[in-house]
Amino acid sequence: MILRRPFLSLLAAAAFVLMLGPVVILVGVAFTAGSTLAFPPEGLSLRWFRAALAYGPFIDSFGTSMLVAAVSTVIALALGVPATLALHRGHPRGRRIMENLFFAPIVVPELVLGLALFQQLMVGMRVTAVGALIVGHTVLLLPYTVRVVGASLALADARLEEAARGLGAGPVRTFFTVTLPVMAPGILSATILAFITSLNNVPLSLLLTGPGVATLPVEMLNYVQSSFDPVVAAVSVLLLALSVAVALATERLVGFTKVFGR
Amino acid sequence: MTPVVELDRVSHLFGARGGKGGTTAVADLDLTVRPGEFTTLLGPSGCGKTTTLRMIAGFLQPTSGRILLEGVDATRTPPEKRNIGMVFQSYALFPHMTLRDNVGYGLRTRKVASGEARRRAEEALALVGLAHLADRKPAELSGGQQQRVALARAVAIRPSVLLLDEPLSNLDAQLRVQMRRELLRVQRETGLTAVLVTHDQDEALELSDTMVILNEGRLEQQGSPRDVFPRPANRFVAEFLGYDNFPEVPGHGPVTVRPEHVRLLSEDAREDSGETGLDGTVGEVTFQGSNCLVEALIDGVEGPGSVLRVLHPGDDLRPGDPVRIALPHRHLVELPAREVTTA
Repeated sequence: MILRRPFLSLLAAAAFVLMLGPVVILVGVAFTAGSTLAFPPEGLSLRWFRAALAYGPFIDSFGTSMLVAAVSTVIALALGVPATLALHRGHPRGRRIMENLFFAPIVVPELVLGLALFQQLMVGMRVTAVGALIVGHTVLLLPYTVRVVGASLALADARLEEAARGLGAGPVRTFFTVTLPVMAPGILSATILAFITSLNNVPLSLLLTGPGVATLPVEMLNYVQSSFDPVVAAVSVLLLALSVAVALATERLVGFTKVFGR
Repeated sequence: MTPVVELDRVSHLFGARGGKGGTTAVADLDLTVRPGEFTTLLGPSGCGKTTTLRMIAGFLQPTSGRILLEGVDATRTPPEKRNIGMVFQSYALFPHMTLRDNVGYGLRTRKVASGEARRRAEEALALVGLAHLADRKPAELSGGQQQRVALARAVAIRPSVLLLDEPLSNLDAQLRVQMRRELLRVQRETGLTAVLVTHDQDEALELSDTMVILNEGRLEQQGSPRDVFPRPANRFVAEFLGYDNFPEVPGHGPVTVRPEHVRLLSEDAREDSGETGLDGTVGEVTFQGSNCLVEALIDGVEGPGSVLRVLHPGDDLRPGDPVRIALPHRHLVELPAREVTTA
């Protein structure tokens, strides 16, 4: 392969280096025994991981992050799945326009969205920081849930529900025995994608923090603004490990659902 | 005997919601399907055949008219209460279920006891020769096998009518012919009444007890293939059934004749007593192996009415040759003078 397509192979290799290079450096720095963000690391130790886990704001903000990610993912699914169903199975007029409206949050700069929510919710309606974060993240995640679940519905045979009805199943039974199982892999993917998106978000979260309440990425940003030691690298590696774990779990689960699927 | 399906002046207008006109998909259609019969709805795309089938199934509501199933008005009955066995062009097998569960689905909704449901599902799979694959998922099967499962699933519930929406169109030509026989065998063995939608005239001819030819939402002709095929009622049906020739024959009104029924003789030969003879000239000749497709131009006639396409045995004619064209009277079909315009 390498000999046959040298140019493409070179490009692929370059892409890998670009993608993985920073990650390798980050992991290296996190395990350093020294006290600066330097690569290659000066010796190996776990001291910065210990430091990270001992730093209160990181632990608190991690809790906030998990809570916000979980709740906003659930709400985004609860709103997004019925919306997708209506779009794909209800044949509404102006379906295209509605579908595009659901993607608006992706197009609007997050800082603008954040500022607007800050104004309305936190200043205007005195909503707490956690409440505002949940609302903001829900808005942010909705396009993902609509699109990913929509993709699984768009791929499925539109006649499946009719087949079930023809075989004597009423609308409710049809939904639970046919529509929902067909959507299940899409819902799973959407859940994971939404959760990770929320967990890693900075721009929106930045504006929706309050006294003593921040998400982990925002707390990390705060930290590097004042000090420049490898603690942040260690936290990043922990976050990375969490994301990889989630991705691996997905692979297992999606592999599992493929047994059912198309 | 009570007809299994009866359409009484059924019309369907698309987009008629909100008081506006909409486009006519089916107009004032009457149809009677008798028990045990195989009926096909035949026509080009957009002729209303699928709309008609979907109204029988209950997936679409007629804009006007009534639908009777086994003598009972079912116009407003939802599909799940109609006892229909529907087979879709796209198969529509449930991807997350095994074949056994797919075929048993309609039995479970009917609250058939699980042991009995399992037995009947396997019986239906055996009927289409797939009993050995009962534990597989649809994605593991070929298109032809999937279509058999879809058929088994529809048959397993012992429906009052089997509705087939172009079930063979997604299969390749060879498999399609094979599945046609299979379909007919299953229908005969189960004794089920069937309504099949197709745009394939060969399929309709081979399968039908009654064929119903539709065009632009209207009935053009119906009857048994043996009645309809040799006597198309109008130009549309003739064209659809492959009557390629609409010649102007002196002393005749509008007529049509199949390419295989015209004889081309040498110019000095005489036609038989049961034939009309015309002088003509050979136009284009296309070699087709066992035959040649020969265009014969009738002398003294201008325009499209001068052309006769003839399936001629042998390869003895060349463009410009003078010929005697013999039209056998028993194959010359008179068409009504007022033509139904075909788009």
